Amino acid sequence: MTALLELSGIAKVLTGQGQPRPILTGVDLTVHTGQSVAILGRSGSGKSTLLSLIGLFDRPDGGRYLLAGEDITTVSERRAARLRSERFGFVFQRFFLLKHLTAAQNVAMALVNGQGWLPRRSRRATVMAALDQMGIAHLAKHKPTRLSGGEQQRVAIARALVRRPQVLLADEPTGALDTETGSLVIDALHAATERGCGLVLVTHDQAHAARMGRVLRLVDGALVQEVRR
Amino acid sequence: MRLSGKLRSALVIGGQGIRARKLRTFLSMVSLFLGVLAVVTVQAGAVIADRAARIDLELNMGRDGTVQVYLPDHAETVDITLDTVSGAAGTAALTSYRAVVGEPGVTPVNAGGMSFDHLGGNYGGYTCDRYGNCVSLEADKTKPPGQAVEFSLYGLTGDLRQFRPFHLVSGAWLDFTGGPLMSPGLVVNEELAKGLNRYQVPAELRLAGATTNATPRIIGVVDDGNSMPTAYARSDELRTWSPPDRVAQLYLSSDAEPVAQVLKTRLTAAGAPMDQWYSQVIDSEEFVGDQLMLLRLIFLGMAALVLLIGAAGILNVGLATVGERIEEFALRRAVGTPRLLLAGIVLAETMIVGLLTAGAATGVGVLGLEVARRVLGDREPLLAEVAFPWEAGLAGVIAGVAAGVLGGLIPAIRAAKIPIATVMRA
Ligand SMILES: Nc1ncnc2c1ncn2[C@@H]1O[C@H](COP(=O)(O)OP(=O)(O)OP(=O)(O)O)[C@@H](O)[C@H]1O
Ligand SMILES: [Mg+2]
Repeated sequence: MTALLELSGIAKVLTGQGQPRPILTGVDLTVHTGQSVAILGRSGSGKSTLLSLIGLFDRPDGGRYLLAGEDITTVSERRAARLRSERFGFVFQRFFLLKHLTAAQNVAMALVNGQGWLPRRSRRATVMAALDQMGIAHLAKHKPTRLSGGEQQRVAIARALVRRPQVLLADEPTGALDTETGSLVIDALHAATERGCGLVLVTHDQAHAARMGRVLRLVDGALVQEVRR
Repeated sequence: MRLSGKLRSALVIGGQGIRARKLRTFLSMVSLFLGVLAVVTVQAGAVIADRAARIDLELNMGRDGTVQVYLPDHAETVDITLDTVSGAAGTAALTSYRAVVGEPGVTPVNAGGMSFDHLGGNYGGYTCDRYGNCVSLEADKTKPPGQAVEFSLYGLTGDLRQFRPFHLVSGAWLDFTGGPLMSPGLVVNEELAKGLNRYQVPAELRLAGATTNATPRIIGVVDDGNSMPTAYARSDELRTWSPPDRVAQLYLSSDAEPVAQVLKTRLTAAGAPMDQWYSQVIDSEEFVGDQLMLLRLIFLGMAALVLLIGAAGILNVGLATVGERIEEFALRRAVGTPRLLLAGIVLAETMIVGLLTAGAATGVGVLGLEVARRVLGDREPLLAEVAFPWEAGLAGVIAGVAAGVLGGLIPAIRAAKIPIATVMRA
C-alpha cells in the first residue's frame, strides 16, 4: 500500500546571518493514512522547518519526498498551493486567526482561496459543520478577540479540517494553552486521525506525544525513534 | 469555472481587506481625491483658457487659415482696394470711420469712443483703436457735452463673419445681397448697444467727413469680442455718406489668392509702396499654442506632482498595510491561495481605490462646473458655453489608476515574496 507521506534523506540548509547552516541532514519519515506521529526535539532543532517542508511551504535541498506516491520534491509553487489547499491542514501554536474576520469567516478562508469555488450557501453549511465538529458552532459570529485561547485553537482546527485534508500538520498546537485545554485540542486532532487523516504533531509535551501512534525525536537534523521511558 | 472561482475568491478577499481597514482606505482616498480633483480642475482650467483664447482669436483676428492683409499707405489704396475686392467671393475689406450717433453739436458721453464702463476719467486728447487707428478729439472738446455716443464704425465689402465668427446676440447680421440702401444698416457690438440703451441718444448718425447726417437703422447686435463700442455696416451704404479715409484691413480666404494678386498688381501700378504690404495667415496653433505653452508646462508639472503625491500616499498606506498583513498573506498562502492571486488582490485593491477616487473627483469636478455655470453663467458667458472637458475626466482617471498601480505594485510584489514559514516563526 502506498504511503501517504514518504520522506527519505530530506536535507535543508538555512542561511541566517550570512552563514549557511544545515538544519536537516537526513530525515526519513513515512506516514500512512490514519497514522499519527509525534515529533519531539529541543528548541531550534528544526521541527518547524521539517513541518514547513512536509506542508510544502518550502522545498528541501536534498532527499526525496513522495506524497501518495507522487514525487513532489521539487514541485512548482503553483502546484504546491493547490496541494496545500487540497491535501494539507495546518494548525499553529499561535492559532493565526485574522482579527478582522469572524470565526466562521476564518474557517471559510480555507475555502475562499482561489482553488475552486463553493457557492455561499454550501460554503456556509460546510463551515458550520466544521465548527460544529469542534463543538463551537455557537461562536461562529464571534471575532477572535472575543474567544478564549482554546476556542481560538478549535476555530483554527476547524479551518484546517474544513477541506477534509489527507494530512494534518500541527506545530505545537497546545503550546499556548493550559494542560486541560491542551488535552481537548489533542482530542480533536486525534479524532481527525480516526476519520482517516494522517497527523504529524510537533510538541514539547511528553503526555500529548504519548497519545500518538509513534513518537520520534529530531536530533542533529535527523529523526530517531523516541525511547519510551 | 476555475477562473471564476479565482475571481470570486479575489473579490471576497479584497473586500475583506478593504473593510478591515476602512479608515485607512478612506484616508488614502482623501489624499488621492484632492490630488485628482486638482488635476481635473487644472485641466479644466487649461481647456477653458485654451477655448477662451481660441474664441478670442477667432473673433478678433480670424479663423484658422484666414489671410489678414495690411495694405500700403497710398492715396489710391482705398479706391483700388474697394474696386478690386467688392463682390469678390472669400474677401472682406474693412473701411474705418469715427462715428457719432445722437444730438448734433455736442461732445459725446464717451468722447474718443471709450468703453462705457470707463467713463468719467480725464481722457487724453486722442484715442486709438486696437489697430493703432488714432483719432484726435481736440475739436470735440470745445463743444458742450450732450446725448451722443462715439464709436468705431467699419464698412464691410464682404461678409466679415466668414472670417471672424461674431456671435449674433439679437436681430440680424448684415445682408450683402442686393443693392445698398440710403439709410445705412448698422450691426452694433454689445458695448455700443449698451451705450445706446443707456443714453437714449437720438437716431442721427454723423460720420467724420460727412456733410449731412444719416438716419441709421440698427439691425442687430453681435458679440465681436471687442470691449470698445463698435459697429459694422455695408461699406457701400456708408460710402454714400462719406468716403472712408482708409482701409483698415483686408481679409481673404485661402482660395481668394487670385484676388490678392490682382490687387497687388494694381497697387504696384499705382505706385503704392508695396514694402508696406503685410499679410499673415491665422494659425490658432501658433498664436494660442504658444500663448498657453507656459500654462501647459505648469499644468504638466502640477499633474506630475499631484500624481506623485497621490501615488506616494497610496504607496505609503500600501506598504504599511503589507507590513501589517504579512501574517495574513502567509496564512492565506498556507491554506492554498496562489501567490499571484494575492499579489493581484493587493494591486486590485489599490487600483479600485484609485479608480473610485478618480471617479468621485471627476464627479465632483463635473458638479462643480455645473454649479459654477449656474451661479456665474450670467456674468461669464464663456463658462456657460463650456462643457466639462472630457480630457480632464480622462486625466483624472489616468492619474488615479496610475497612482493606484504605482502605489499597489510594490506592496503586491512584497506580498508575493513573503515566505509562508513566517506563520510558524512569528
Ligand atoms: N529563515 C531562516 N533562516 C536561517 N535560519 C533559520 C531560519 N528560520 C529558522 N532558522 C533557524 O533554524 C533552526 C531551526 O528552526 P526551527 O524553527 O525549525 O526550530 P524548532 O525546532 O521549530 O524550534 P522551536 O521548538 O523553538 O519551535 C533554528 O536554529 C533557527 O534559528
Ligand atoms: Mg518551531
